Amino acid sequence: MRWFARRLAFYVFAIWVALTINFLLPRLMPGSPLGGLLQHLTPSQLSANPGIVQTYEALLGGGHHSIWQDYVTYLHRIAHFDFGISTSNYPTPVSEVVGRTLPYSMFLVGVAFLLAFLVGTGIGMVAAWRRGGAVDSVFVPVFMVLSAFPAFFTALLGLYLFGLKLHWFPIQHAYDNGVIPGFNWAFLSSALRHSELPILVVVCAYAGGWVLNMRTVMITTIGEDYVTMAHAKGLRDRRVMTRYAGRNAILPPLNGFAALFASAVGGLVFVEFIFSYPGAGYTLQQAVLGNDYALAQAILVVLSVCVILANLIMDVLNLVLDPRLRTG
Amino acid sequence: MSQLDPTIDLPLAAPPRRVRGRIRVPGWVALLLRNRKSRAGLCMVLFMVLVALVAPLISVAHPNDFNLLAARQAPSWHHLFGTTDQGSDIFSQVVLGARRSLLLGAAAGILATGVAAILGITAAYSGGLVDEGVNFLTNVFLTIPPIPLLVVASGYLKSRGMVTMAVVLALVLWAFEARILRGQALSLKSRDFILAAKASGESTPRIVFGELMPNMISRIAAAFVLVFYIALLTDAGLEFLGLGDMTKTSWGVTLYWAQTNSTVLQGEWWPFFFPGAALAFTVLGLVLLLAGIDEVSNPRLRTERPERRRLLAALVGGRLVARAEASA
Repeated sequence: MRWFARRLAFYVFAIWVALTINFLLPRLMPGSPLGGLLQHLTPSQLSANPGIVQTYEALLGGGHHSIWQDYVTYLHRIAHFDFGISTSNYPTPVSEVVGRTLPYSMFLVGVAFLLAFLVGTGIGMVAAWRRGGAVDSVFVPVFMVLSAFPAFFTALLGLYLFGLKLHWFPIQHAYDNGVIPGFNWAFLSSALRHSELPILVVVCAYAGGWVLNMRTVMITTIGEDYVTMAHAKGLRDRRVMTRYAGRNAILPPLNGFAALFASAVGGLVFVEFIFSYPGAGYTLQQAVLGNDYALAQAILVVLSVCVILANLIMDVLNLVLDPRLRTG
Repeated sequence: MSQLDPTIDLPLAAPPRRVRGRIRVPGWVALLLRNRKSRAGLCMVLFMVLVALVAPLISVAHPNDFNLLAARQAPSWHHLFGTTDQGSDIFSQVVLGARRSLLLGAAAGILATGVAAILGITAAYSGGLVDEGVNFLTNVFLTIPPIPLLVVASGYLKSRGMVTMAVVLALVLWAFEARILRGQALSLKSRDFILAAKASGESTPRIVFGELMPNMISRIAAAFVLVFYIALLTDAGLEFLGLGDMTKTSWGVTLYWAQTNSTVLQGEWWPFFFPGAALAFTVLGLVLLLAGIDEVSNPRLRTERPERRRLLAALVGGRLVARAEASA
């Protein structure tokens, strides 16, 4: 439990550092981004939203307050998730834009990363169990090469081959034109169909890491005495592979989760951009290009928090899977 | 290198060949060339460097020359890699783009290596609170998703010149290396020659820069290769998102225009394929080089390695293999 308390303290601190970096970035850069942002609002729009300039000043600097005063206001606004108005989606508040785009991204990266993990560790496990077998000699090299490719290159190749040439998947956006987002079958099936190719791309790009990790750990695990013992007891081959060797081999790769997930969230930006998928990544890129810094800041905060939460979930899972952590 | 340091097996394993009247090849170069992976990787990277060096000679046209009559042409003898929407020659863009892409990646890699080496090694040597602090900061930086952070950071920049981008990339990417170097410095710090230096009253900076760093030069070089390819990928990715210097020629910029003009959706594969493939080729070369360095410096990885696995690792690199094996 002490281990878990330490992790928890680390995450709280990490969130604070992420928020502070977010606060300092626009202030450290030469020139204030405030001007670029305000250019996108007309005087009448500004006067229609009293206090909006103060909000932007707290977020981006450039006001007349001291940096400490700004910092307090900034943290206060963040706590209430008040990032002002998104200039590129006027007059929608930033929080609403984020709320609209986040579900797409969470679905995409959640499903894709989980699949990458399952497929990757599964292939790694089987490949190590039957070294030199079909899985080991076909799937492993393929995933290896794919994981060395830049994510956006894989995405473009997938889009061209499977979307455009073979017509297996829809190629752009998150749902068909004319379907209204809502909780109904027409929308959900369309959205699911449109997410298939982006998910496939993310799985291809990130499963390789799991395959290699799992495979190498599994190879050493197979040599352990308890695996020989399980065989000697006459247990079925599959049961020994999954319950005995695989169960133990999965722990070390899980520790690499944090860095891999953070980089997969980065890959999300590229994949969403390529598929014009209206998630947080694509919105972030559009916001930055369109000087909508308040929106960009909000998305960075949300993505950082999401990664940290995912890590926390992973730690809980680790706690469940690894009894050594519970007693230690 | 110090004879006192038993972990550096490079000079011991391969005494440099002394051929009279010829340039003597340093031992570690000879070793790298003897390893199949690093030889292949080195050849691939050197090929790209060579292309970048002779780019002005082999490029057939100015990369941004436009000719609407020759726009959107598929690869042919006249335009080896085809032409863009504006009729620019993609072959020229790719070979000339290699210069900026490689240079920026290398510059960011060198900067990040510098930061990581100083922070990581000092932390490991000093121990205590300094170590805790640096280790904590490293972990925080590994948790914050790097791509979204870089997207927002480069969004604030007014000018995105080479130096600025290299500094920004280095500031975000140093953590990958710092963790590795810290771990390696930890294993060196209790060796006799360090204790001797300490006993003779040398100052911390002197021990870090004069004793530890020279003895870690091969590991620092390996860490540089790692961060070089991460920087290369990240920089190309940022440019691909439209967040680089769009007036210059580089792989990422060519990819950005391919995406912005939605050439893929019009069935043109060449505008994205060639710059993407050039990038993937370079990255694969660096990954192979890294795998080779791993094998050379860690002989355990070489032994008991069946042929198939060697083939496999040749495809992706043994770095992950090494890491997983180390953590197992």
